[in-house]
Amino acid sequence: MTNLAFIIAGYGVILGGLAIYAITLVRRLRNARADSLRIRRDAEAVADVGGDRRA
Amino acid sequence: MKTRVVGIIGLLAVIAAVVFGLFVVPPDVNQGDAQRIMYVHVASAWLAYLSFGVTALAGMLYLWKRDLRFDAVALSAAEVGVMFTAFAIWGGMMWAKPVWGTFWQWEDPRLTTTALLLALYVGYLLLRHLTDDPARRATRAAIVGLVAAIDIPIVHFSVVWWRGLHQTATFADPTKILHPSAPLPFVIALVGMLSALTVVWAYLMIRRYQLARIEWQIEEHGRLGRITAAQRAAVASSAIPAIPAAPAATAIDGRVEGAGL
Repeated sequence: MTNLAFIIAGYGVILGGLAIYAITLVRRLRNARADSLRIRRDAEAVADVGGDRRA
Repeated sequence: MKTRVVGIIGLLAVIAAVVFGLFVVPPDVNQGDAQRIMYVHVASAWLAYLSFGVTALAGMLYLWKRDLRFDAVALSAAEVGVMFTAFAIWGGMMWAKPVWGTFWQWEDPRLTTTALLLALYVGYLLLRHLTDDPARRATRAAIVGLVAAIDIPIVHFSVVWWRGLHQTATFADPTKILHPSAPLPFVIALVGMLSALTVVWAYLMIRRYQLARIEWQIEEHGRLGRITAAQRAAVASSAIPAIPAAPAATAIDGRVEGAGL
């Protein structure tokens, strides 16, 4: 391998790895926010039903 | 929105630093173009130190304040730190082969202690999966994070304390990159890459912290849902002696107090 190949391998893995981690992290965060919102809505719906029954 | 701005600034800064380090800075007299790997290698190593330092500090604050937000910070820093440690090792290997003639040497104290650092914090992340109790998990993780942090100064000073292939410190040694006679383009390239990757590190830390907080809320909601369902099922079946209210309540109390291991 030439020096150029080592430079490409070094920078490629580090920058590529950073990009993959950042993209995966943003997607995980987006999915978690969607799940959290759904759970909150479900909980509010259950609370509303409970309130109607008591009324 | 502000976090996104940090991410965009980090991305632009890294692009600029890479272009400068690869195409503007002249090759090193002794090592030629292979020396260009130093910019990402040294920056990754410093960010690994910073991450694990934050993990230890946040763990200490958790043990003091018992606030799970510190545990979220510790987790975020450990995960990001493991990634940067792996990058530092990879970059070092790619630099070592053309310069030393070998990718790795176990007899070198810097290399071996860095590999140990990676193993310790991978273990830290795995340890967190051993229990569902947030307080117990945070306590265990904080202790392991503090113990593992002992390896950080050992890694840093290994090149001073023992002999090996690895060069001595790049920044701490005044005869190297910070020496007035050091060519300015080399200094700019290294400091520029370090600054750019630090901005990216800050962006990743914020995002990982946000994720950790939401994951904890979802986990907590699921646990409370299971306890409620179990209590309802017990009441519905009228099996009063078998109602698991007491163990559930104990579990909740344990989490809130959070002192146990």
